[in-house]
Amino acid sequence: MSAAVHLLPLSVVLPITAGVLAPALFHRRHNACSWWAITAAALTLATTLTLVSEALDGGLVRYPVGGWPAPYGIELVFDGLGILMGSAAGLLTLLILIASRAFVQTEATPQRHSLFHGLVLINLGGMNGFLAASDLFNLFVFMEVFSISAYALVALARGPVAALAALKYLIVGAVSSMLVLLAIALLHAQTGSLNMSDIGDRLAAAQAPAAAGLALGCLVVGFLVKAAVFPLHFWLPDAHASAPSPVSALLSGLVVKMGIVGLIRTRMLFAEADIFSLVALDLLLVWLGVAAIVIGAVLAMIQRELKLMLAYSTVTNMGYIALGLGLATPAAVGGALAHMGFHALIKTGLFLSAGALVLSTGLSRIDDLRGLAQRMPVSSAALTLALLAVAGLPPTAGFVGKWQIALGALEAGQPWLIAVVMSGALLTLAWAIRIINSLYFLPPARGQVLTADEAPLSIRAPILMLGLVAMVGGLAGAMVLEWIEPLSFRILEAGHGH
Amino acid sequence: MVTELFDLRPVLAPLVSALCALGIVLLGHHERWRIALSLAAAVVKFALVWSMLPATLSGTVFVFNAGEILPGLPFAFRVDALGMFFALVSSTLWVLTTIYAIAYMRGSHALRRFFGFFALCISTTVAIAFAENLLTLFIFYELLTLCTYPLVIHSGTLKARRAGRRYLAYTLSGGAALLAGMALLYHLTGSLSLSQPGLVDPATPPKTLLILFVLLIGGFAVKAAVMPLHAWLPSAMVAPTPVSALLHAVAVVKAGSFGLLRVIYNVFGVNLLASLGYTAVLAVIAALTIIVASLMALRQDVIKLRLAWSTISQLSYIVLAACLLTPLAALAAVIHIANQAFAKITLFFVAGAIEKRTGKTRVSELDGLGQIMPWTMGACTIACLSFMGVPLLAGFITKWYLSAGALAAGMPIYVAVMMLSALLNATYWLPIIYRAYFKPCPDPSLSREEPEILLLGPILACAAYVVLLGIGAQAPAMPFALAESAVNFAFGLELSRP
Repeated sequence: MSAAVHLLPLSVVLPITAGVLAPALFHRRHNACSWWAITAAALTLATTLTLVSEALDGGLVRYPVGGWPAPYGIELVFDGLGILMGSAAGLLTLLILIASRAFVQTEATPQRHSLFHGLVLINLGGMNGFLAASDLFNLFVFMEVFSISAYALVALARGPVAALAALKYLIVGAVSSMLVLLAIALLHAQTGSLNMSDIGDRLAAAQAPAAAGLALGCLVVGFLVKAAVFPLHFWLPDAHASAPSPVSALLSGLVVKMGIVGLIRTRMLFAEADIFSLVALDLLLVWLGVAAIVIGAVLAMIQRELKLMLAYSTVTNMGYIALGLGLATPAAVGGALAHMGFHALIKTGLFLSAGALVLSTGLSRIDDLRGLAQRMPVSSAALTLALLAVAGLPPTAGFVGKWQIALGALEAGQPWLIAVVMSGALLTLAWAIRIINSLYFLPPARGQVLTADEAPLSIRAPILMLGLVAMVGGLAGAMVLEWIEPLSFRILEAGHGH
Repeated sequence: MVTELFDLRPVLAPLVSALCALGIVLLGHHERWRIALSLAAAVVKFALVWSMLPATLSGTVFVFNAGEILPGLPFAFRVDALGMFFALVSSTLWVLTTIYAIAYMRGSHALRRFFGFFALCISTTVAIAFAENLLTLFIFYELLTLCTYPLVIHSGTLKARRAGRRYLAYTLSGGAALLAGMALLYHLTGSLSLSQPGLVDPATPPKTLLILFVLLIGGFAVKAAVMPLHAWLPSAMVAPTPVSALLHAVAVVKAGSFGLLRVIYNVFGVNLLASLGYTAVLAVIAALTIIVASLMALRQDVIKLRLAWSTISQLSYIVLAACLLTPLAALAAVIHIANQAFAKITLFFVAGAIEKRTGKTRVSELDGLGQIMPWTMGACTIACLSFMGVPLLAGFITKWYLSAGALAAGMPIYVAVMMLSALLNATYWLPIIYRAYFKPCPDPSLSREEPEILLLGPILACAAYVVLLGIGAQAPAMPFALAESAVNFAFGLELSRP
């Protein structure tokens, strides 16, 4: 066991500890608190990146907690999902925290600054733990850690909509968590184990298809809610649009992806158990994905508020990911996984740059933001680049997933799905261009636009970086797909190896 | 024999204009910098492209490979004869159009944006010409769409914005079809390379091949303005004249035609298409486009609209010639890229110069202009005669080879189409010449005065080129030899004069 293995629990414990300490140490000291959080996030990112290089060299990184080997002890595992989403979570949280220096001062009351930073760090630790959990109990615990911190983060925003949205988010989230917990209880009752691969082995012997089926159903519904896959997306637009912009970026970029991570873990568990065919589940994901792509894009198109458009675009993109997973071919699963990472990056860029525009003007409807590119060229450019990326034009980061999913549709013998993939992209372009038109080519309609100032450097630097990476990220498609190939292989091969 | 040689020039040529665009964004508020950068980039690119010509003619193929974007799909450039021909035409015309645009656009608003995107457009056009595979081509094809958009809506009027919306709706939908076709092609062959005369396996089921053909051809046909996908082109004439000239007579529309040639010669290959017979249908559509668009041109009084409809008609010459699948017709298809471009750009320049000098935009207002602007109208006459197919001018060469190719293909009906088209061209170009020279000028206040030299120079240069292409086609250093070697490659012939 090399020394680097100990970094795995550190990537969970460090941000959570730093997050818990933040409100205690830095109450009402905004600047110090912000630097504390940025340092903690940077250290977490460094930890995760070390783990990534370890995992890319030698496969999975395993850490038996307390030295007890699985399945008797608790084990943390850093696999392809950790490589992909762990590094995304670390990097994007860091950028979000940097950008938050300016955001939080306006968007949250001063008493809540330290709370905000603490919650973001706890959220990061929760996600890292969730990614590394290999037993259902820890999976549940860390899911609650990142979920509850997310509810609280939404509620941090000023205004009545945010409070209501946070309540809605809390209720729906709690129901989904209950479903997951119920499923865990069922599985534990049947198998006496909590380790996921152990359950997979034992479930076949348990001879209780009804209980296993119920558990599968509860897990799928629970995680579909967390992932905001249509039609269980209804909580998302309000929560993501009314939250403070850095929180919107965090939720839309990273937190919803954890629902997909849960789905992947569920699918692998039941594929290993091999008690019933998962064709129905895959079919469900395909159809929900198709509906989400089209309906999400249409709903985004009819919105007038910039951040609501972006929130509905998350619905579309979660649809793409669900579609890719459901197609269950190597290209499609690879595409879905790559899109998880790339979309996290794009959506963070989108919400932060859109947030910069809203922050400077106090306006949120796209008709009110007309002509703003004159006053805020960098923020507008970053938003434009990210918009082109979310539409999936080549060579943007959004292209890789769409291309692979289109290939997957052909591999799966369902060529008509390409039409869905393309129409989602075209509909996205339609509303993206409306935003670009408004910013660049229409005369200002509001006084605030004429006097708006460009966002401070702490926002401009991260969003420009995200915009540029989103714009040319697709050029790294082959590399990213190669990293996650072992993972997509394992997802597809689970259950066939016996 | 073809030898491949690694070289930086295939990537430098597009990069020069992209860097120029960046420079203009950063320094472009100063007119002097804007002009210097635009001209310098145009000349450097011109030199880079021409410096590759001798080697290309002697069979050397320069390649540049930047590594894989997606599995099996490199980001690569490859300078073959066909690509070289297109690049030569666009980079030569860019120099002339830049000079013209500097004079024409003087005093307009948002010039930084204008010249920045103008440079980007030409950058993408040369990249399209040199693209080694369809994915690389597609990346720049879509970028070209986006970069043209700000130029189309430059004036910012409602009409311009409507035209821009229509332009995007058509071209982006075409792009989506193209992308679907590419996914299918990659699924079938595992490659998107354009370096061979025929990529598709002839044993593929004909139904699949038909879908592939429709998607790829349909995708490119939008920009090539093949009816019924042409409606964006006349409305895009709201753009400033240099844009209409370079982009809607050369870069954008020819990118579509060039794509069609690539699909016919490099993706399917002439042998496979000859056995499939799809091109016979496409030839009929192209012939109809030639006739119907000419009839529409006849009804237009606004000069630029007449030019636009004439462009639609002329572009289908290329499609028709390519569909005949004989070497002689293929020669017509390739050289018409140059022949139409130089003649049409002359006319656009003339139309712009007349508008600048006298404010006249309609054919019916041109009475007596031959006395007022003799050199300008002389150039106009040369271009008009070329379109009518008068020998010793560029247009004749196309008609000659196209007719010869039609006879070789055993389809004399298309010779009749050529004749009819020549007749129709005469009916809509001759009135311009007649009015200019044989009618008295109704406005005695107009004194004899040519437009300024920066406008007149490019006009005369283009007209001179039209003559040169007509009389010197077979001269060794002319692009004609390139066209021959492109055709020989596509048809697998040895170097020999047809």
